[in-house]
Amino acid sequence: MGVTTPQITFDGVWKKFRRGEVHNSLRDLLPALTRRAFKGEFLRPDLAASEFWALRDVSFSVQPGQTLGIIGNNGAGKSTVLKILTRILRPNRGRYAVRGRIGALLEIAAGFHQDLTGRENIFLQGAIMGMGRRELRRKLDDIVAFSGVEASIDSPVKTYSSGMNARLGFAIAAHLDPEVLIIDEALSVGDYAFQRKAFGRIRALATSGIPVVVVSHQLDRISELCTDVLLLANGERVEHGRPSDVIAAYLRGDGNTIAHGAKPSPVTFAQAAVVGPQSIRSGAFARIRLGGVVSEPLGEHIEPIGIVVRSAQTGDTVFETGASMLQLPLPPGAFEFELELQMNVQPGIYLIDVDVWDRATEEQFLEGPRLTIRVVEGDTFLGTTNLNARLAARDREAAFVS
Amino acid sequence: MPKPTPTEIPENGSAGVLAGVLADLREIIVDLSHSRGLIYQLTLRDIRVRYKQAVMGFAWAILSPLLIVGAGTVLRVAMLRMSGQQFAAIDAGGIALKGVMWGFFASTLSLGTTALSGNPNLITKVYFAREVLPLSVVLAGAFDALVGAGAVAIVLPLTGWRPTWAVLWLPFLAVILFTFTLAIVLAVSCANLFYRDVRYLVQVLVSFGIFFVPVFYTPAMLGARWIGPQMANPLAAVLEGARLSVMDGHNLSVSLPSATDGVLLWSPLYLVSSAGTAVLMLAMVAVIFRRAQFRFAEYV
Repeated sequence: MGVTTPQITFDGVWKKFRRGEVHNSLRDLLPALTRRAFKGEFLRPDLAASEFWALRDVSFSVQPGQTLGIIGNNGAGKSTVLKILTRILRPNRGRYAVRGRIGALLEIAAGFHQDLTGRENIFLQGAIMGMGRRELRRKLDDIVAFSGVEASIDSPVKTYSSGMNARLGFAIAAHLDPEVLIIDEALSVGDYAFQRKAFGRIRALATSGIPVVVVSHQLDRISELCTDVLLLANGERVEHGRPSDVIAAYLRGDGNTIAHGAKPSPVTFAQAAVVGPQSIRSGAFARIRLGGVVSEPLGEHIEPIGIVVRSAQTGDTVFETGASMLQLPLPPGAFEFELELQMNVQPGIYLIDVDVWDRATEEQFLEGPRLTIRVVEGDTFLGTTNLNARLAARDREAAFVS
Repeated sequence: MPKPTPTEIPENGSAGVLAGVLADLREIIVDLSHSRGLIYQLTLRDIRVRYKQAVMGFAWAILSPLLIVGAGTVLRVAMLRMSGQQFAAIDAGGIALKGVMWGFFASTLSLGTTALSGNPNLITKVYFAREVLPLSVVLAGAFDALVGAGAVAIVLPLTGWRPTWAVLWLPFLAVILFTFTLAIVLAVSCANLFYRDVRYLVQVLVSFGIFFVPVFYTPAMLGARWIGPQMANPLAAVLEGARLSVMDGHNLSVSLPSATDGVLLWSPLYLVSSAGTAVLMLAMVAVIFRRAQFRFAEYV
């Protein structure tokens, strides 16, 4: 046998928690503790009334080169998965295995002691994360440089700002040489510049070929980092697959439920594609092509091609239009057209959903194709939408006069 | 949609209790030997924080034994006056020695109670062998005890005391004391994580425990028939053994009958039983601790 390849497996894992606060009296402490410990009852696999399953039969595996993102609403079980992977929690049932040295970015400054200096804390926190003293001594200069707190490295950490604290913590974590990486929302620390630096480091680690598991609410980052995405809801697997599909499923589930096949749709789509680059600068035009068939004459209240643009990060609807609004004539028969959208929005992932619906009853006939556009930095602005502000000299004068 | 719930019992259900215990003990030893660096850093943290201001640090290490010696001396002088005897420097020396040992036990126990419950961030966010938290508290306490012992070693010769070969029993006694203290701290830190009122109970026990352990007095002072029951407490045997070997130069491997009435003041069995009790307790507590630690993150 050669060296075992680092990998993560999670096989039919169940984990239960107690609901609410548990109050126990001292009187039954030792007998109960002893009894339970010796009978192995600490991890009873059945469920009492006060308990609930935080994870139900969750399975996945992550091979070298794969980055698995885990998404879902609060309480879906994302953190529980990470805590089982890092051995903080043990499942009630099922198997899990993490082969290789784990680097976990769960809480990056948890071990800091406020009275110790930054330098002393590097050794303390590093040891907590599993780094040896020799290793830390070798990496010390890099860690200090990365954190950007050189000037205060020999001052007690209690004199640090919260940003400096987080930066130092991240710098230590970033210098682990993990064979397996587990990340939980540690992606955003410090100021904007440091966040970018930190994310760059995470991206470098995540794409270095090691197995990675990431939990985040920031869907654009998940979609940027991950090769696979797992969607959890109430501790159960909902979807597992390509990032765009799973993120789409997540956003769909976030909205209203869809009445499938209530009525046959008068319009069906044969093709939908982004024409040109999928990644464009903010302020530039995205171009999409849609094609399909109209099977019957359309009634007044039918929206044959509804187009909704949503932010993958927030799920908010950014823009909505449709064939009727665009006054696109759609006689029965085949159709094909191209549409341009000026993406005056912040960088991020945007989902373009196409559907067919009845404007009178708000009934959806068909949930059509979904396209994804990535907006990268271009025109700089604050807020959600670029209104292309510019100075108009005459109006400004007028304002001063009045 | 109701999901089927699993009903099978996971691992080691019928493998035999003893085999399970031995497997756990082996796992603990392996984990701790891998965690040497972390144990060192956490111990260093506690010592650094305490000795950051050098004066306060050394005062911390010496103050509590000093207070114990003061209290013990007052008590002994009062007792001896009633029985019309004189107080001797050697009595103060014995109290100082026991004071350092008791001080180690008491302060480590107070600090160690919250070793787990005081670090929720570490316990819910980072994995490491949880034993290292209480263990490092005990190790840092041992450092303080060494400083205190150093102070005693400097003062004792000034009172006319001269060392004998019997002093060599001291390291052995110190190991028993360490083992026993570690067992208690592991148990109490774990208990306090699940039951937060344990802390208050420990405070009461630490405050009044000194009267139930022969620190200010010797076991014989309570009467011959109470020597045996007192020595069943590993702490009593260790403290009295330390006084007899260091102050009286007694070799602990032989019995010591009283010169006046032949009552047995010391028996090597006391040493064997205290060592045995300490080791057994540590093994038992360590296994319970290990089996409970996967619940720490859910309760802390």
